Amino acid sequence: MQRIVPTWTFLLRLPRRSFSYRLALAAGLVALFVAIPLAYIFIRAAGAEPAAWERLLQTRIWLLLGNTLLLVLAVTSGALAIGVSMAWLTERTDLPGRRFLRWMLALPLAIPAYIGGIVHLALLRPRGGMIPKVLEALFGQPVFTPSPLGFWGAAFILTLFTFPYVYLLSGAAFRSLHASLEEAARTLGCRPWQALWRVTLPALRPGLAAGALLVALDILAEYGTVALLRYETFSSAIFVQLSGRYDRSAASVLSGVLVSLAVLILWFEVRLQGQARFTQMESGWRPAPPVALGRWRAAAFLLAAGVVFASLVVPVGVLLAWSVQALLDPATLQMVFQSGSRGLGDFLWNSLWTSSLAAGAAVALALPVALFAVRYPNRLSRWIARFCQVGYAIPGVVIALSLVLLVNRALPFLYATPLVIVIAYVLRHMPQAVRAAESALRQLSPTLEEAARMAGRSAGSAFLQVTLPLILPGLLAGAALVFLTSLKELPATLLLRPAGFDTLAVRVWIWASDGFYAQAAPAALLLVLASALPLSFLLRREHIFK
Amino acid sequence: MRLYRFLIVAAISVWVLAACVPAATPGATAVPAIPETAATATVPAGQAVSGRLVIYSGRSEPLLQPVIDAFRAQNPDVEVLLKAGSNSEVANALIEEQANPQADVFVTTELFTVQSLAQKGIFEPYRPAGAEQIPAEFRGPEDAWIGLTRRARVIMYNTELVSAEELPTSIFDLTDPKWKGKIAAAGSTNGSMQAQIAALRQLLGEEKTEAWLQGLIANDVTFFGGHTDVRKAVGTGEFALGLVNHYYYYLQQAEGSPVGIIFPDQGEGQIGLITNATAAAVVKGAPNPAAAQAFMDFLVSPEGQKLFAELNYEYPLLPGVALRPGVEPLENYRLADVNVAQAAQEFEATFDLMEKVGLP
Repeated sequence: MQRIVPTWTFLLRLPRRSFSYRLALAAGLVALFVAIPLAYIFIRAAGAEPAAWERLLQTRIWLLLGNTLLLVLAVTSGALAIGVSMAWLTERTDLPGRRFLRWMLALPLAIPAYIGGIVHLALLRPRGGMIPKVLEALFGQPVFTPSPLGFWGAAFILTLFTFPYVYLLSGAAFRSLHASLEEAARTLGCRPWQALWRVTLPALRPGLAAGALLVALDILAEYGTVALLRYETFSSAIFVQLSGRYDRSAASVLSGVLVSLAVLILWFEVRLQGQARFTQMESGWRPAPPVALGRWRAAAFLLAAGVVFASLVVPVGVLLAWSVQALLDPATLQMVFQSGSRGLGDFLWNSLWTSSLAAGAAVALALPVALFAVRYPNRLSRWIARFCQVGYAIPGVVIALSLVLLVNRALPFLYATPLVIVIAYVLRHMPQAVRAAESALRQLSPTLEEAARMAGRSAGSAFLQVTLPLILPGLLAGAALVFLTSLKELPATLLLRPAGFDTLAVRVWIWASDGFYAQAAPAALLLVLASALPLSFLLRREHIFK
Repeated sequence: MRLYRFLIVAAISVWVLAACVPAATPGATAVPAIPETAATATVPAGQAVSGRLVIYSGRSEPLLQPVIDAFRAQNPDVEVLLKAGSNSEVANALIEEQANPQADVFVTTELFTVQSLAQKGIFEPYRPAGAEQIPAEFRGPEDAWIGLTRRARVIMYNTELVSAEELPTSIFDLTDPKWKGKIAAAGSTNGSMQAQIAALRQLLGEEKTEAWLQGLIANDVTFFGGHTDVRKAVGTGEFALGLVNHYYYYLQQAEGSPVGIIFPDQGEGQIGLITNATAAAVVKGAPNPAAAQAFMDFLVSPEGQKLFAELNYEYPLLPGVALRPGVEPLENYRLADVNVAQAAQEFEATFDLMEKVGLP
C-alpha cells in the first residue's frame, strides 16, 4: 500500500494509519466555525475600554462571580445528592414501583427549568401565590411558606430540573457495575455502607463527574430561571447590560469572564477524570442482588414520589389546569391561537423547523470531526474534537451576542433571519452531536470499512454504503439530543429572533413575564410534549430502560 | 409500554393541532423584496398600503397589539411584524442595524431614548398628518419623532394594607423604614423607571437621586422586570405600595383589586408629578417607508389616540381626544418640568448611576 508521509508529520506524531487531508480539512473547517464566535468575544472583551473594565471590576464582577459560583455549587451538589440517591433506589433496591419511577425520574428533562420556575412561582410566591392564599383563607392568618425567590428558590428549582442528568448517568453506571466489586469489599470485612462509600461510589466517579459537569455548565448558561426568580448571575447580568445601556463593551467583558469560568470547569473535569481509571471485564457480568430496604421501603418510596411530584406532576398538572382555563375562556383562547399576525401553529412550526435543521446541521458537521478523531487518532484530531465541545461551555447569551455583532458586519444578508438562530443552536449544541457520532464510530470496527475497500469500493462509497448505515442509530440519538435542547433554548432565541418570528419557548417566556399564565400554558404544554418525544426515544436507547 | 403509547398519541395530537392552525409557512421567514418608495413620499390619507411593516417596540406587546389590530383593519394588505422588548434592547438593535436597517417604525415608552437615537441619526424625519396639533414640546427636533401619549409616575397602593392616614405623599416617602419590604417597583431595564431616574437627576442633581435610589434599595424594595408584575403583586396584597405608571393602577382596578392611586409630590417645595411621553419614529432606510408613514399617521389620528386612551388609560397628546372616564386629568396636578433634550444628553450618566448603586 502506498503511504504519503509529508515531512512535517513528526510534529503531529502520526500513527501508522495513513492521513486523510480531505478529512483533516473538513474537521479543521468545522473547528474554525466553532472558534470564530469564541475568539470574537475575547477580542471584544480585551478591546473594551479600560473604563468599562474598571467600572465593572469596582462594582459588579465580584458580586456576580460569588453569586454564580455559589449557585453552581449548590445546584451541582443538590443534583448529585438527588440524582445518585434516586439512581441507587431505582437500580439497587427493592423500591416498590421502581420500573415506573425510572421513567418518571428521567422525564423532567423534557421540562425547561424556566417553565418549572414559572409554575412553582405562581404556586408559592410569598403572599401572592396560590398556596399561601389558600392557607391564609383556611387558617385566617398568613402561614409561612418557603419562597421560590432568591438564592434558595433558584437553587431548589434548578436542582429539580437538572438532577435527571446525574440520575441517568449514575443509573447507567449502577446498572453496569459488576456485583463482584461490592461482594469482594464485603468479603474483606466492609459493612454495606462502607462498601457503598469506599467501592461503589468511587467506581461511579466517571459517570458522576460527567453528570455534574453537565449540570454545572447548564447553570452557568441558565438565564430564564434566574431572571424569573430574581437571582443575579453572569448570564442574567449580561442580559441586563444588553437591555440597559447603548454600549456592548460591558456585556462583552462579562461574557469574556463567563466563558473563562466555563473553560475552567471543563478543564477541572478533564483533570478529575484523568486521575483514576476504572476497568471492568464485560464478560461474566451479573446484576448485583437488590438491597432489601425493609422498614425503610415506605419512606424511600415517599422520597422518590416526592421528587417526581415536585419535578413532574406539579408542573405538568398546573400547565394542564391553566390550559383548560385558557380553553374555556374565549378571549384568552383567541389570544392563544392568534396574537398579531401569528398564532400558536406558527410558534410550533418555528420551534420544530429551527430545531430540526439545527439537529441535522450539527450531526453533519460533527461527522467529519468524529471520523477524523476516531479513524486517525493523533494530537491534531484529538485537539479538534475537544475544541468542538467548547460550545457546551458558551452560554446562549454569549453566542447570541457574538453572532449579532459578527453576522451584521460580515454577513448582513443573514442578519435578522431565523437562520442565525439555527447557527446559534448548532454552535451551542454541537458537542452533543460530536460525542454521539464519536461513540457510534468507536463501536464500529474499521475492518468492515477496510473489507469494503478491498472489495473495490472507493473511500466515499465505502463510507456511504457500509459505515453510515451502521452508525445511523447513534447519529440519530445525537440529533435527537440536539433537537431536544434546541427546542428548550431561550436566551439566544430571545436576542436573535427577527421581528414576528417567535418559537414556543420565546412565546411562553413573553406571555408568562407579562403575567398571562393561562395564555402561556398551552404553548408550554406543547413545548413539553414536543420535548418528551425525542427524550423518550433517547431513554429507550439507555439500557436502564430496556 | 403504556407511557410510550401515550407519547405517540400526544405527538399525533400535536401534529393535528399544528395542521389545524393556518398560515404556518416556512417561506414567511425569508425576507421578500419590497418595492422601494422614496422616503419623502407621503401617502394620501385613506389610501391603503401594503407589504410588510416591521415595528420595534419598547411598549410591551399587550399595550400595542390592539392599536396594530385597528391599523390592520384599515390596511388589510399590510402584514405587521412586531418585536417588543425593553426600550434600550430595541434601541441597541436599531443602532446595531444602522447600516442594515430591518425595522420600519420604532415605538418607545419615554422620550429620552428616542431623542438619543435621533441624535445618532437613526430616524428619517417625518411629520404625520395632523401632527401640528400635538404640543411642540412633544415633537422631535426636525420632526425626527412624534409624541403619542403622556403618562404619569404615580404610587399605587393596596387599600386593605394601607389606611388613608398613613398614605405616602411623595416618592421620597418610599425610603421611610416603615415601608421596608412592602414596596414593589420596576428595575433598571424598564424604560419608565430609567426615565424617572433621569428626570430626578435633572430636577435634584446626582447626589439626591443617588441617595433616593440607595434609600429604595436599603428599604428592600422588590424590583421586577416590568410593571405588570408590580401591579399584580400590589393587587393581590403581596406588596402594600407600587411605583408605577398611572395606567397600571387603572388596569389593576379594572380587574377588581382593592387598589388606590397617589399622585405624589404636590406639596409646597416638592418636585411635582413626574410625567413622560411615549413616542414613535420612522427608521432611516426603512424597508417599507410607505407603510411606516401610514402607521405613524394612524398613531397620531384621533382614532389611534382614542385607542391608547380607552384601552390603556393614557393621556392622549392630540387635543380634543377624550380621556377614559374616571381617569384623573393631568390639569389637576402640578407637573415637574423636565427638559427632554438635556435629559437625553445625560441619559448615559443615568445608566452609570443605576450601575453604581447596583439597581437590579
